[in-house]
Amino acid sequence: MRLAYYPGCVSLSTGKEMDRSTRAVFSALRIELEELEDWNCCGATHVSNEMVATGLAARNMSQTELDIVTSCSICYSNLRAAAMKLEDVEARAKVNAVLEKEYKGAKIRHALDVILEALEENEDGIVLPLKGLKVAAYYGCLLSRPPGVYSPEYPVVLEKLIGILQADAVDFRLKTFCCGGPIFMPKEEAANEAAYRILRNAKKAGAEVIITVCPLCQFMLDTKQRSLEQRFGEQIGIPVLYVTQLVGIALGLGPDELGMEMNAISPMPMIERIYEKMAEE
Amino acid sequence: MVKDEGFKIEVLRLAGDEVRTCIQCGTCSASCPTAHLMNPSIRRLVKLCLEGRKEEALHNETLWLCTSCLLCTVRCPRGIRPKMVVSALKELADREKIDSPGRSYDHLFIKQIADYGRISELPLIGEFLLLYPQGSIQSMKVGLELLPRGKITLEREHIRGRDEVRRIMEELGR
Repeated sequence: MRLAYYPGCVSLSTGKEMDRSTRAVFSALRIELEELEDWNCCGATHVSNEMVATGLAARNMSQTELDIVTSCSICYSNLRAAAMKLEDVEARAKVNAVLEKEYKGAKIRHALDVILEALEENEDGIVLPLKGLKVAAYYGCLLSRPPGVYSPEYPVVLEKLIGILQADAVDFRLKTFCCGGPIFMPKEEAANEAAYRILRNAKKAGAEVIITVCPLCQFMLDTKQRSLEQRFGEQIGIPVLYVTQLVGIALGLGPDELGMEMNAISPMPMIERIYEKMAEE
Repeated sequence: MVKDEGFKIEVLRLAGDEVRTCIQCGTCSASCPTAHLMNPSIRRLVKLCLEGRKEEALHNETLWLCTSCLLCTVRCPRGIRPKMVVSALKELADREKIDSPGRSYDHLFIKQIADYGRISELPLIGEFLLLYPQGSIQSMKVGLELLPRGKITLEREHIRGRDEVRRIMEELGR
């Protein structure tokens, strides 16, 4: 299988481990990724004009005829929303009038969806089952919104994936509660409060690791975790991995191939426990 | 009586004419993760738009507390997109250069896309902190986490299709 890959801006800095682990996992699953030609920012949550946001996404989508895959839920949501908007004939004509290449329709997929499909077809790839690992599946908002693919209220796709990896999904009440990421610069306190609630809930649920599908969720829960511990006076100490990093471990990829040294809360003690368990069996 | 009909019409043009059908049920406010910090609430904000109360609708921090989670939009029983009402107001606030950290952040973000086609996080945060230095402590803490892990990139990203991107922003933004 060959897919067009949209890395998104975050892949080049604070989300480098998302990009590295995505490429490594797809390569292990023998799915070829062709990076989108000269891609631009999707506008994230900061472009308020719907037509401009649609146009920015359309420029990306017009670069390829392949299905487009991304690991970032913000990019994913924006591309999907634009593709829906562009079903409208009038909107499509307006957008095409300013694009260099004509937009003719696109299929957008989240990396999670492609990985799940590949693993369902061939579970033999899982060389290191994550038996007994307690995982909190954190969805955040934009993987499932706008609606159409996963339930926007109670998605279960990550629990399904966790099951395939033979790990255990903990009961995590705040799995779709917003992390506050989009407002962390101008409204620091509001964002901190939201992220801390999620971390505390995952800890109470007994999670050994939290998985994310969005670089902004990852930033709020991982990069900011130590400063949230200081701010709220509570030790959390839970590693937070991109879903691609967790899948990568089960596929037998090494920590360096998955960018594990870039996570703020080191997942290495957890990974060593997995390796030890494997050695015992 | 509608105070500023022109304002109301512009909000409806940007956010969708169905906003007129709002029944003020409050499902949006009840679903909003930052509702407890908002004044006016998202429900009230929709009402202010429909009444043409431009000043109150644009000069508040509610707009900048929206995290774009889309839950209001998923749940609205009338099929309205309250998040798009917030977006419309953010755009009008930007046109009027309203003084707010949230407005400035979005403005700098959009300007980077228009100038370079991609976001480079370090210059974006830097430019924002020049305007609002109170975020510096948070940013330094974050920087200390990112720097040793090689996640701060100094060079600025730019794409070849900048003219096309600028055209998208100018012509579709009208």
